[in-house]
Amino acid sequence: MNSTFILFCRREWQLLFRNTANLVQPLCFFVIITLLFPFSLPLENELLSRIGGGVIWVSAVLAILMSLDAMFKADYNDGALEQWLMHPRSLPIAMLAKVFIHWVATGLLLTLFSPVLSMAFRIPTDQIWVLFIGLLLGTPSLSLIGAIGAALTVSLHRGGVLLAVIILPLYIPILIFGAGMITQSSLGASIDSQVYALIAILTLAITLTPFAIAGALRITIE
Amino acid sequence: MKFLSTIWQFLNRSFFRLGSPREFYKISNYVTPVFGLLFLVLTLIGSYNALFVAPADYQQGDSYRILFVHVPSAWLSLFIYIVMASAAAIGLIWRMKMAYIVAICSAPIGATFTAIALATGSLWGAPIWGTWWEWDARLTSELILLFIYFGVMALYYAFEERTTAERAMAVLAVVGIVIVPIIHYSVEWWSSLHQGATVFREGGPAMPPSMLKPLLYNALGFTFFYGYILFLRARNMVLDNERKSKWVQELVNKEHNKEAH
Repeated sequence: MNSTFILFCRREWQLLFRNTANLVQPLCFFVIITLLFPFSLPLENELLSRIGGGVIWVSAVLAILMSLDAMFKADYNDGALEQWLMHPRSLPIAMLAKVFIHWVATGLLLTLFSPVLSMAFRIPTDQIWVLFIGLLLGTPSLSLIGAIGAALTVSLHRGGVLLAVIILPLYIPILIFGAGMITQSSLGASIDSQVYALIAILTLAITLTPFAIAGALRITIE
Repeated sequence: MKFLSTIWQFLNRSFFRLGSPREFYKISNYVTPVFGLLFLVLTLIGSYNALFVAPADYQQGDSYRILFVHVPSAWLSLFIYIVMASAAAIGLIWRMKMAYIVAICSAPIGATFTAIALATGSLWGAPIWGTWWEWDARLTSELILLFIYFGVMALYYAFEERTTAERAMAVLAVVGIVIVPIIHYSVEWWSSLHQGATVFREGGPAMPPSMLKPLLYNALGFTFFYGYILFLRARNMVLDNERKSKWVQELVNKEHNKEAH
């Protein structure tokens, strides 16, 4: 394995547990957004179980979006980012490691927690699995694509809203496939095509976005 | 082979000549009015034929005539995005000032054509489909395109430093290109309310020549309109960006003297 990748994974992993707020906040946000829906809708179990999958997907997208803003901020403020840009180590590989650990702390955690929420929404057991697999395949792409936006807006003081404007349109295709899986399986249809589409997006994202992230960082940090 | 290499060198030189703002400004003095004229002539011929010569549709009656605005706008919304993303890529690769200007000047024009395509589509859908809006693949992906245009513009205007803004915008424009094939194939990949490709398809267009001709005239006319507006905007931006350079100040002085006489 590439030593840069391992090195950066270890660094990010350590930083993650130095400040556990980064670990807890996206998860709390995810759960709270999801809980807003039962409060705002008529309390019918049938309705909740029908929309539950979509609600959990939207909440996951929003939770990841919220966590993106902080992705490069600390490293930008303390100057670590500039050091990496000058360092001869491969920046795309380093960024891939950074996004990977970011995904473990947000996307993977949300995915592992999603069955609990699914049960609260009374989603049938077989569809809980569909939702779980969809989130597992979709959230890494969300982190990778979002990291491009985070890199582009890292030097801006109020990048948060702008980040949402530039990144959410790019999230929509993933949301369509991910949430589409649940609709398909509730109708008893095959979910193969959506799974393949999510895997295709993920493959492209892993291979291409690290270069875009590195390029964006080189542009915005002068 | 020598012949080919001469042509290649000529193309190469003219490509990089266009890359200089001053040369672009000189060339645009002649090109801009030509584009404007071509737009006017082609769109007038196209629209006359569309409104008075083309027959009414046997099912939709006269309401189908909005097609002559809707389809060229929809084509252009994608075409302009491809131009914008290509220009952005050229700018990132060759560090070419003009390429960034072309990219950022294209964004609002593309957004406008996307909005026109959505609005006319919805006006057309109301009587024919019986609905203003349907959450259908073609319509939704076109709406995403509109928001990507907005994102590109918002990112450009968020930076104070122009060179940073140009390059950041260019990265986003290149990344957003993934939406273009999704829109194009949306009618084939998902069963959709929107009809499939009618003009560019295997076995030729499924449309009589009397309808196809005005459509193509309008499409070409709209494209020249895009070129016309793009050149006007790019000229302004060149002058603004280069306002401290000598040639712009000479130009301003010359205009000023002309007015004084």
